Amino acid sequence: MDIITYKNFSWRYSGYKGWTLHNINLSIKKGEFIGIIGKIGSGRTTFCSSMLGLIPHFYPGTMQGEIIINGLNVKKSKIADLSKCVGLAFQSPANQLTGAGTTVEEELAFGLQNLGVPYEEMHKRVDDMLNLIGLEKFRKRSPFELSGGQQQKVAIASVLIMNPNILVLDEPTSQLDPLGTEQVFDLIKKLSKTGITIMISTNNVDYLSRFADRIILFDNKIVKIDTPKKILTDINLLKKHSLTHSNITEVSLRLKKMNLSKKELAIDFAELKKEIEEIMK
Amino acid sequence: MTPIISAKKICFEYFKGIKVLKNINFEINKGEVVAIIGQNGSGKTTLVKHFNGLLSPTKGEIIVKGEPTLNKTVAQLSRISGYVFQNPDDQIFNSVVEKEVAFGPSNIGLKGKELKDRVNNALNLVGLFEKRKMHPLDLDLNQKKLVAIASMIAMKPDLLMLDEPTTGQDHAGLIRVENLINELRKDYTVIIISHDMNLVSRVASRIVMMCEGEILFDGEPKKAFTKNALLKKTYLKPPVITELAQSLKGFKKDILTVDEFMEDLMRIKKKKK
Repeated sequence: MDIITYKNFSWRYSGYKGWTLHNINLSIKKGEFIGIIGKIGSGRTTFCSSMLGLIPHFYPGTMQGEIIINGLNVKKSKIADLSKCVGLAFQSPANQLTGAGTTVEEELAFGLQNLGVPYEEMHKRVDDMLNLIGLEKFRKRSPFELSGGQQQKVAIASVLIMNPNILVLDEPTSQLDPLGTEQVFDLIKKLSKTGITIMISTNNVDYLSRFADRIILFDNKIVKIDTPKKILTDINLLKKHSLTHSNITEVSLRLKKMNLSKKELAIDFAELKKEIEEIMK
Repeated sequence: MTPIISAKKICFEYFKGIKVLKNINFEINKGEVVAIIGQNGSGKTTLVKHFNGLLSPTKGEIIVKGEPTLNKTVAQLSRISGYVFQNPDDQIFNSVVEKEVAFGPSNIGLKGKELKDRVNNALNLVGLFEKRKMHPLDLDLNQKKLVAIASMIAMKPDLLMLDEPTTGQDHAGLIRVENLINELRKDYTVIIISHDMNLVSRVASRIVMMCEGEILFDGEPKKAFTKNALLKKTYLKPPVITELAQSLKGFKKDILTVDEFMEDLMRIKKKKK
């Protein structure tokens, strides 16, 4: 079943001449893990905002076409209704943190309180989430007294705790340390296995190559939708869109150029390791 | 030679009892490019904010170019050490790019041609001269970061401190930042705070690893990325190419680039023949 459908969707912000997104056609199946890539200004954030209905309801502009999310027509639905099934983690934690709670745990509980979740359950979900993101130590601190990366974790957690069907993440790990990034991706992968649909905008190709089912390349329109393998080994295409292939693919490419290997280009660590071990036999 | 910055046994608490820096000793000399790495919340930003007086240590002493900072203002110190914020929106407030860049130098009394030259040079260096009449908020994130960097360059400090200069950048942005650092190193001493191990391994002459308010390692990049237990403790990972080399039999353990990797591969292959 398609959980997300875009039909001839276009969007122009008022005051701007061109379409930020033009003629988007797309269907995503329930439970898919989708990576969203593209250079800065390619419309990725706009696309993320449209799944929650911030576009067209919050930002002024012109919309064409249709978006159906979890059976709801975005144009005809309220953001409040859409947000029951879609969780959106913003790029900048400053935009996410409500400031309504004075502590990290209150911040995490905020959305649940609004839905009237019973106290016991709320407590348990906050505890579990703090544990999951490794911020138990900071539960009584104000989110605004945390470091940039810790704030980003709290912002992501405040979305995850709502148990959305569709989780939309806009550059969720941009400020995280390397292990923090790995933790967040591992967590998202775990959620994905429980049937949640993941839409993640990131240029971290190392992780997308391991986790994504499909990747969408944006450049104010959809340039290509395909498997990580097809997109992340298309070096010229990536270059054209100001993106880069990983060092894994670079080594694999050089092995081919030197006629040491005839395999198709590798995108992940284990794959390349095996390839080299065979060459070295 | 007098170090540009010398931090002696500094401690810092934002709130009583929460020690963010614990007894830090740190020096940086002219011409160095030092990368400070470490997990989120380890005190990296807090440390460098001491170097231009945005923060003062609760204990210990900061010496900037031979003089204690205790009675100096941020305005005086920022002529020596310029800090570029992690989030450019925390820094930028003017409505025209060139005015934003001119703000600092005009505050220290520069006028006329001298001011204009400073601004234009800084904008040229970051590649934004063409956009000088634009509103900074109409720029994309890459470019906003570069405006923030340019406004510090225009102050001509001895030391430039770039906090997460590559956060949220696409590839074009990454390359621009890397080239910029390589350009800056000719005239400036540079500190970068970064989680981008690929960048750090390529540009830093020295790496400082922080963990829970302490410095656990201070030395060459090649040595830093072979200390796996330490990396794990500090929530860091070596660059992917280093990890690959370390996972394969016979390869050197301190490889930092694809070129070095391929060289080593050929060396091992030759030996096998």
